[in-house]
Amino acid sequence: MRAAAQARKYRLQGAGLDLALPYLMLAPGLMIVLGVLVYPLWDGLRASTRAYRYGSPVADVGFQNYVHLWSDGQFLNSLWVTVKFVALSVSFEAVLGFALALFCLREFQGIRLLRTVLIIPMVVTPVVVAIVFRLIYASDAGMLTALSEAMGGGEAQILGNPLNAFIGLVVLDVWEWTPLMFLILLAGLQSLPHEPFEAARVDGAGAWRVFADLTFPMMRPVLAVAIVLRTIDAFGTFDQVFVLTRGGPGEATRLVSIYGYDTAFKFQQTGYAAALFVTIGLVVLALAFSAIRLLRRVDAS
Amino acid sequence: MMHSSRLTRRSVIKGGLGLALATTALTTLGLPISARAAGKKVIIGAFADGGLTPFKQKIIPLAKEQGFDIEFLEDEYGVTLEKWFADAQSGAGQYDLYLLDDPWVPQFGAANVLEDLGAGGIDGSDKDWIGSMIDMGYWPPQKGPRVKGFESAKPTLICVPFVGDLQTLTYRNDVFTDGAPKTWDDVIAKGKEGVAAGKIKYPVVFRGVSGNPIVTSWYPVFLSFGGSFFDDKWNPIFNSAEGKASADFFVGTMKQNAPNGVVEFDSDQEGAAILGGDAGAIIQYSGNALKADDPAQTKVAGKLDFGVVPKQQSAIGQMGIFIAGVPKSAPNKANSIEFLKWYVSAETQAKLSEAGSIPVKRSAFGIAKPGNRLIPVALQQLDAGSLPRPRTPDWAKVEELLGIELNKALQAGSGGGAALDTAAKQVKDYLTTAGYY
Repeated sequence: MRAAAQARKYRLQGAGLDLALPYLMLAPGLMIVLGVLVYPLWDGLRASTRAYRYGSPVADVGFQNYVHLWSDGQFLNSLWVTVKFVALSVSFEAVLGFALALFCLREFQGIRLLRTVLIIPMVVTPVVVAIVFRLIYASDAGMLTALSEAMGGGEAQILGNPLNAFIGLVVLDVWEWTPLMFLILLAGLQSLPHEPFEAARVDGAGAWRVFADLTFPMMRPVLAVAIVLRTIDAFGTFDQVFVLTRGGPGEATRLVSIYGYDTAFKFQQTGYAAALFVTIGLVVLALAFSAIRLLRRVDAS
Repeated sequence: MMHSSRLTRRSVIKGGLGLALATTALTTLGLPISARAAGKKVIIGAFADGGLTPFKQKIIPLAKEQGFDIEFLEDEYGVTLEKWFADAQSGAGQYDLYLLDDPWVPQFGAANVLEDLGAGGIDGSDKDWIGSMIDMGYWPPQKGPRVKGFESAKPTLICVPFVGDLQTLTYRNDVFTDGAPKTWDDVIAKGKEGVAAGKIKYPVVFRGVSGNPIVTSWYPVFLSFGGSFFDDKWNPIFNSAEGKASADFFVGTMKQNAPNGVVEFDSDQEGAAILGGDAGAIIQYSGNALKADDPAQTKVAGKLDFGVVPKQQSAIGQMGIFIAGVPKSAPNKANSIEFLKWYVSAETQAKLSEAGSIPVKRSAFGIAKPGNRLIPVALQQLDAGSLPRPRTPDWAKVEELLGIELNKALQAGSGGGAALDTAAKQVKDYLTTAGYY
């Protein structure tokens, strides 16, 4: 009787160990995730509800920082500039990337080299790209000015004019990131089934018909993924603006990332900056979720 | 009985843990481990600037002769403030000495992260100091308005002036043939004659980029027109009649007589305009002014002279010195204070002056052979007037608000006065939120 109870106890202990083992093995990984992801996120959220003032104790201010954001003209302006920048850049990148992908789908001599060359801008460090564009845009000794003067014109005013500087920034972004769009869309195009296209050709459909009725509808999910990825990335654009314009002239190119950086490090308003970045994080998250829902709807249709 | 000396895994782990615990305990208790271990090592953090070149080239070797082991770490200006502030606040202890830009002193002072150098034996009352320079080392300030929370605090010497740096005038002696222009009107009128004679392209050049650059360039114009930034209760008064007149002159007349792209100009571009022979006059800091005598850096060597800033009512420039603070977390604190005492002695300051840097002690301005022509002019400017930026930890934000509005007016080429009204309202709102009133 006693031996049976003992055996039952050992069996239970074994079962307990079996049950616990997977959790024990997951524990180190879980700890790392908690340490590097959850804790910083939690700390950022906590910081966003606090006010840090020089020489004063840290004060809990609840959601005051979040409320204040919506009456802060500089934040609202930077948000508007960011939305315009993201919408314009990503739209151009999608159209250009798609056009390039369609062109490079064809096989001809030198196509492999062309495909490689087309992705070079994407692999150049953003800071280097910004420096190169600064050398192009500078009104006193820039390449555009040199070109303009060679053609009998005056200095090219890019960085000193709000509209031109904004367009200049969009051009830089389009130059650098269209290759990413191109790469994703080319991969998508190459993975499309051949049969529908062959059937359309046999039926005598023209190039536009094939594109409108077959290529574009079949590519919509890939295009949506590419746009979502690029949109999320474009919201965080920082390096290029930091080097090229620092947000100027005036506030014409001051993206939220620049305003947040200045707020945190130049003005030392850590709590307020944390609230700003949490808000932007939520906006981007909302965008991503909306895009995923849209994708599902597209898939279903 | 024999003891095995074989290194086992367990012994390595035990030893490592012991060492880690001991180091942590010592660090936590704040014991000066490195101060005892590293001899006269001093780790200096500085931002890259031409104004420090003589110090690097001539004074560091002298310090080494004195037994100091100097490690000089340089960073780009834009990243140093946040890097050092984080270092000081977290107590990381990566530096023994920060060479700060003087408007950062209130930020570090209010955060209480720098050592009391007076308690360390540095005499702030020594009459040999340039008064306006040593004043910048105190937090809270000894004179002028104080921010909330520090009204009754005792001023403490947390920084000492390290290298003098201030705005002076650099002008073309073939355009301004009667010597330095005395007033802003002279700068424009004589400059136009120089343009007509084909000697220069523009009478004047300055920095127009939003934020700090444009405010730095407008500052001497503003002060010389008789403007003041704040009253003694921190109310913005820079939009007074004098302030507005200076802003209108700056974004109007000065822009019309400057290169077309001045709205986007920073130090590099304004430097290129004066050193390349295009501009007639410029107000600039010492580090850039010194390039005027270097044929490798200018096309018009021999044609550039120095003078005090032009006046309308007075001739006041901006003071922006390199100023040294010792973080409370410095690993070699005692060495760094010993180094500072040696460095600010009259003898070393004389060597600094010989090396071509603007000294911080008055006696060093009077040496027989100063290292460059700018040094006596700098003393003239100091005596005529050279003011620091307002002593508040929130100056960076104020400067940003003001700089954006000035830049917008500069783009338009008019409306300087209105820009100041807008900026004054924004500054008032901001300081209200920050609890100034």
